[in-house]
Amino acid sequence: MSHLLIKKEWTRESILAAHEAGGRKRGRTAGGWVDELAAQKKVITLCPLCTGKFNPGKVGYRKEKEYPVCIAKCDGCSVTDPKCSMYIYSELYSQVRSTAEERRESARRRQLGIERGHF
Amino acid sequence: MKFAYLLSSSTPVIKKYKASAAQAVGTVVIRSAGGASGQMSTSTTTSFADSVGLCVDNGTAIGGSLTYSTTQGADEAVFGVLVNPDAVLRARMVTGATGTSITEDTVATAVSNGLTVVGGTSVASPDMDEGMIWFTSGSNVGRSRKITSTSSVTATVVVPFPYASAVGDKFCYAGVNIGLTGVTLTTDLKDVRADIAVSTGASATCIDLELGPATDSWVHLVLADNVFKMAT
Repeated sequence: MSHLLIKKEWTRESILAAHEAGGRKRGRTAGGWVDELAAQKKVITLCPLCTGKFNPGKVGYRKEKEYPVCIAKCDGCSVTDPKCSMYIYSELYSQVRSTAEERRESARRRQLGIERGHF
Repeated sequence: MKFAYLLSSSTPVIKKYKASAAQAVGTVVIRSAGGASGQMSTSTTTSFADSVGLCVDNGTAIGGSLTYSTTQGADEAVFGVLVNPDAVLRARMVTGATGTSITEDTVATAVSNGLTVVGGTSVASPDMDEGMIWFTSGSNVGRSRKITSTSSVTATVVVPFPYASAVGDKFCYAGVNIGLTGVTLTTDLKDVRADIAVSTGASATCIDLELGPATDSWVHLVLADNVFKMAT
């Protein structure tokens, strides 16, 4: 069985339309849309069915583990799901998330300061 | 400003909204004004009126910065926003409009009963009354108290510090306290100014404080004027 590959011609309108938020657009593969979000360093939210298809480490992303799920529209299949996984670009993670580990480190520094008599 | 946790111990809610002004990651965004182009806009150093949530995205597109634009053909500026009204935001406390740490003061006059702290700079203007004061060196290091009145360079507390203060001891103070609403931000909209009088500025309520070194002290805030609450 043979397949015929037809090259898709992108128009200016279709490129602009693809930049709209709200999940992937008609005619676009889910992977391509998510890759584009990753290139823009956007927060990526994926439902349980889509999350296994995304490798966050490969594109410099970090999975939010303190909150294993979030309510969001899946960037893969455009369905609002209460059990989405949240991925944040690694370089931005420390700017938007204060984790228990970070606060634990601050508390440890304060404790050390008190023990030695000055911060 | 960073998302720390949720008051209700529930689940973060992430939405993607259209901007009607330039946005920066880690800042509070507010509802767009009537007639504005997008759905959210930038907060200011003294106003979180009709806040929408915390911007968790970077405005970077493929090959360059993604900036808000009304030019036809330009990329639309869409950003991820954490919209939970009960989200607790952790912000570093600093001094000055572009400050990097709280300015430490030094005890100028020793006080044995622990009921007052006498420093070298004024705590009455801006008025730190009802704010917090804590020692960063000396016998009282790590101890904090609520300021109940101020006069020139003297801060008074009701519950005495456990030890006498000595000349040269270092301390910090901040115009924030639990349950008080109103903070003033730095110009990058990410840090909270500790050198502004209490209950001044943007409507965010303090829920917790991490009082430590001048470079590592934090305030936990909940947005008090959020459009997704029952009343704003």
